[in-house]
Amino acid sequence: MAEARDIFIVCNNVEELGGLQRWAHHIARLFTERGHRVHLVGVTHADDAHDYGEDPPYAVTVLHERRPKPRSGAVSRLAHRATVRRGAARLSALFRTAAPGGIVIAAQVWAMEWVARADTAGMPVIGMSHESYAATRQSSRYRRVKRHFARADRLLALTQADADAWAFDDMSNAAAMPNPLHVTPASASPRTEPVVVRLGRLSFEKGQDMLLEAWSEVAVRHPSWRLRLYGTGPEEETLRRQAAELGVAASVEFPGPTSDLETALTGASIFALSSREEGFPMSIIEAMAYGLPTVAFDCAPGVRELLTDGHDGLVVTPGNVTAFAAALERLMDDEHLRDSLGDAAGISVRRYAPDIVIDRWERTFTLVTERAARTTIA
Amino acid sequence: MSLLVSEPDVTIIVIVYNDAGRLAHAVRSALDQSLAGVEIVIVDDASTDATPRVAERLAAARPDRVRVVTLPENSGGCGRPRNVGMDHANGRYVMFLDSDDTLDPHACRNLVTAAEETGADLVCGRCVRVQPEREQNWYPFLYRESRVLTSISDEPDLLYDTLSTNKCYRREFLDRENLRFVDRLHYEDLLFSAQAYVGARKIAIIPHRVYNWIVVPRAGTLSITHRRAELRNFADRLEIHRRIDATFRLRGAIDLIKRKNVKFLNHDLLLYLRELRSRDLEYRRAFLDLAQAYIETMETAVFEECNPMMAIAGYLIVQGDLGAAMAAADHAPRKDIPPTLSIGPVERDGRIYWSDAYLGTELGRRILDVTDLGIHSAPLGTLTLGGRLTEARQAGRELVLTGDFVNPLGRIGAATELTGKLEIRDRRRKGRAFRVPVTLWHEGDRIGWRTGFTPARAVRPIGLVDQTWGLWLRVNAGEDTVSVRVTSPRTAHENVVVPVRPRLTRAVGDHLEAYVADSGELALRIVGRRFPARTVLPPLRGLARTNLGVKAWQVLTRAEKRLRKGLTGRTTKITVFNRILVRLPVKKGTVVFESHLGAQYSDNPKYIYRELRERGTPHRAIWSYSTSKQGFPAEATLVRRESWAYYRALARAEYWVDNQGFPAGLTKRRQTTYIQTWHGSAYKRMGFDEPSVKQSTWAEHVRRRLMTARFDHFLVRSEHDVRTLATGLGVTAPMMRAGYPRNDPLVNGGDPEETAALRGRLGLADDTRTVVLYAPTFRTDDSDRPAPRFSPPFDLDRFAREFGNSHVLLVRAHYLSTAVVPPGLRGTVIDVSGMHDVTPLLLLADALVTDYSSVMFDYALRDRPMIFYTPDLDEYVLRRGTYFDLAEHAPGPVVGDEDELFAALADLDRVHRDHAERRRRFVELFGEYDTGTAAKAVVERFFSGGRRG
Repeated sequence: MAEARDIFIVCNNVEELGGLQRWAHHIARLFTERGHRVHLVGVTHADDAHDYGEDPPYAVTVLHERRPKPRSGAVSRLAHRATVRRGAARLSALFRTAAPGGIVIAAQVWAMEWVARADTAGMPVIGMSHESYAATRQSSRYRRVKRHFARADRLLALTQADADAWAFDDMSNAAAMPNPLHVTPASASPRTEPVVVRLGRLSFEKGQDMLLEAWSEVAVRHPSWRLRLYGTGPEEETLRRQAAELGVAASVEFPGPTSDLETALTGASIFALSSREEGFPMSIIEAMAYGLPTVAFDCAPGVRELLTDGHDGLVVTPGNVTAFAAALERLMDDEHLRDSLGDAAGISVRRYAPDIVIDRWERTFTLVTERAARTTIA
Repeated sequence: MSLLVSEPDVTIIVIVYNDAGRLAHAVRSALDQSLAGVEIVIVDDASTDATPRVAERLAAARPDRVRVVTLPENSGGCGRPRNVGMDHANGRYVMFLDSDDTLDPHACRNLVTAAEETGADLVCGRCVRVQPEREQNWYPFLYRESRVLTSISDEPDLLYDTLSTNKCYRREFLDRENLRFVDRLHYEDLLFSAQAYVGARKIAIIPHRVYNWIVVPRAGTLSITHRRAELRNFADRLEIHRRIDATFRLRGAIDLIKRKNVKFLNHDLLLYLRELRSRDLEYRRAFLDLAQAYIETMETAVFEECNPMMAIAGYLIVQGDLGAAMAAADHAPRKDIPPTLSIGPVERDGRIYWSDAYLGTELGRRILDVTDLGIHSAPLGTLTLGGRLTEARQAGRELVLTGDFVNPLGRIGAATELTGKLEIRDRRRKGRAFRVPVTLWHEGDRIGWRTGFTPARAVRPIGLVDQTWGLWLRVNAGEDTVSVRVTSPRTAHENVVVPVRPRLTRAVGDHLEAYVADSGELALRIVGRRFPARTVLPPLRGLARTNLGVKAWQVLTRAEKRLRKGLTGRTTKITVFNRILVRLPVKKGTVVFESHLGAQYSDNPKYIYRELRERGTPHRAIWSYSTSKQGFPAEATLVRRESWAYYRALARAEYWVDNQGFPAGLTKRRQTTYIQTWHGSAYKRMGFDEPSVKQSTWAEHVRRRLMTARFDHFLVRSEHDVRTLATGLGVTAPMMRAGYPRNDPLVNGGDPEETAALRGRLGLADDTRTVVLYAPTFRTDDSDRPAPRFSPPFDLDRFAREFGNSHVLLVRAHYLSTAVVPPGLRGTVIDVSGMHDVTPLLLLADALVTDYSSVMFDYALRDRPMIFYTPDLDEYVLRRGTYFDLAEHAPGPVVGDEDELFAALADLDRVHRDHAERRRRFVELFGEYDTGTAAKAVVERFFSGGRRG
């Protein structure tokens, strides 16, 4: 086994129900299983906290009891700066407890602002970008990533394509690190239920509106099939209304949010990812692990990295609803295709097996601590 | 304790010769690598300055990491020092660094990691040329993504990257292949890289920036000795290329020789040819001899694969015609600089050729055929012509310049009125220019020009920040404005030295001196000939070249750029519009018209405007134009789109009338009424129904919604528009069910005199042949912009053969594109892309061929034959999405291949007969409100109140 390290994972918050938080708790657990001492740090509390299990085998710290206010105006900017300094001081104190060989992981760029102001006690800092390069590029986060992560020892993107994009954009610390598979299916989906499933927040980014449009093009011809949209969110009412307007209300189900992935996925035969933006879509990984064939918009390099069109899923030009409908119909009409894509998905997703991904993390740790180590010897 | 790192990962070989000032900087970048196991070997090529001391100091400071090797005598190149460095290398990997450059802090880590993960012998990373004012990626297209090649043949374009420095070599591999640099030849990098590429069993490429190539701008021109040396360098380069050929041949990589030669013509030859304009005749002759001997050895396939202009250049060098070859290089594509036409091509047998000599062979004809450039048909204003200075005379403080320029294919007619100006432009920065008038006249097949002016009065540089000035002619030939690039082919410019007074006083320069820049352009530079400038200027220039000076310059120019952008940028204007301009009082009775973002005077806005004029209402019309006023109504007020005047007009207008969209972000005030006419019914999905828009971000959705929310009235021509277009665009304004003003003439038959005049302009006055209009939907290139050149997807020659006696084909591409029609088809195929308004063409045409364009809905009103030529129908439907099934509704045959198209064209009567009922239904479904009274309806509704300002 590799050297045991103190690993600090700093996130915006570690309590919300979201992809990033699930990843954080999962990776913390995996690192712990390898013998590392993990400290999960949230800058703030979440507005509504999700239960990530009692007594985790790793330490969880929240820097600020109250959420730091958004900054605007000179006075509140100063106040904000003071807040960050206080939080950074707590972080520094935490970092000082580390034994040599420790690592700091700033999982999000907002959290990095705290890490940047803290004394990392000589520990290397690994920055992470949990969304696609294109998504960051379009948002205000871009400038912050360029500024705050420029000095990080490594900037990890979710896919090679995203890492390449960052590298080409002069972030020469860029490299790729996929998320590990976080489900262990007791059994794969039998793919017998005539159900197309989608899990995710009901929001504009997740594009359920486009899925409903596509559904309305195929539903008439497939009266026995159902579209099941798990989740809740700001768009729920709009989506229900849209389903009614499109005349598909009868075949679309809104069962609400679920934590029972197994039931949700084994009760379906096709997984549909209709998002406008994604990073490295965990929901595709889950679907693959349960042997479901996926139809997805090619909305991020992560989709292409996970799915090979025609081999373990069908990938469609972003926003092209007609093509999405055609792909859904192809699978609905062809049981053999569903089986072959689903089986292939179950196999190809194994490259994200936790052991493989954690090995990769440990190689990265060695790489970034090596210089410090050598300098000490010399 | 001095402890040498045992078996380092990488040895960085830093070569240096008399560069004491920068060596430490380079070595520091190597020491600061994020990878730990790095050793540095400084190889001093027998420097005579302070370099040895600097090197020793660096080694003494880090004895564990830095060693110095000194050559006993200077080698005069980079080869031997690097070889010596390799002999001293202990690392598993080897890299090279020049003393004036630097490495990225993560260079070694990224390169070594890639090598370890892939097992590659050779890893290449991205090099960036760092100039004082900008950075430039070195062959970025090679470095967009990580890749592993098992052979250079997988990506022969890698041959373009001939640097040895942005790479990491496995030492084992260097030894295995016995890779060393050649000595005593320049361009040793080229051969070394070529050998490394073919020798490597695996090559990895990473997009990470690894190497900073610091480029120090060269001042002024070269001395004679320098030029002789340059010729020797060229001979060296050819020798290196011969050796590369031999290397490839030895490996049996014949295809690589071809690829490398393509690169030689596209790149190496081009560089030399461009600089040739500033070299004397003797030099050129010697250059020709060298180049000819080498290019002669190339197989002819090289000419077919390289850039067409460089194929011409290479071919003409083999023929010994250096002048025409240099002209070809002037016309080769170049970033930021338009291709220049410096010789007049010729027309032979209906085609255009670069030169009339050498057309005896098939190969010659094929290579020299430049018909596709469209020189014979492109609007004159889009051409940049090559001109020269033939005489410069100095009379006291006055300067008289005489010269001429080409008149390609006699396109500037003898009767054309010629006026023009000589522009003296700041060469380093855009924008600043001084102008003096020139006299112009026809002179055989060229145009002559002369100007006399007093530079001390006409040219007022600031000094220091603008030391070099280029000379350009702006010539007005009739309605067209042509740019002429001025070169000095001989010695006319020599001895031109005239007094000048910089704004920063004469201390920073007192004279302007003519010289020929490396690009061949004639230019002026500020010199100091008298006290104080003579003493002040040289040290100031020296200061500007130091690291600190360069930095300071960077800061200054960037600040200036930001300031300029801040003052004139779009965001600023929009903010001023929303905060200030809209508070100005509305000018009652003003109407701002815009068609296709100011590109044209056309479409519904034009026909509303015409109706307004005909009624003589007191409204004040303001038309927006994007680039040229040409074609816009002279009696209206014209404002350039996005100018201050434009925003002022919009802010104060009572009405906005347009067919696409006024700038996003502008808030329309309540007192302004916005009539959105749109520009056609929809077959393909539009707005939020388009895949690319549908998948866009929330911010983009909001931006579009805000633009649409400004509409007060939305013009439609059918309920189909209401269902598709209005929904797709998200229109919330009330529909105005009046039909399209632009289609009134199509229903009423239009003005026969206007149609006859158009016939005359197209040379069809007494032509009785059937006029077929080909108007496809516009195609975009990869970046979603209209492709600048359009060629119809069917054989024009065949059309001319089969229908030349019975049909005329009018080709209309998108208004931003041009279609190139070979001159041999003149009279049978006519490019009408440049015309602003399509309506007169629809009136003229006896039949229409289209694909998915909205012109189908308009032309159907004419009740004439229509053919839908759609070879890519299935793909188009799937990619773009459509609102209805074309085959089901089309008012004419939908054909998928050329034979079917030609069969339909052969029997248009039948097409007309067979589809009469379908045409009627089509109009009923898609054009129910087009009854010929649309313009009237709009004007009566909004403009008959007779409001006045």
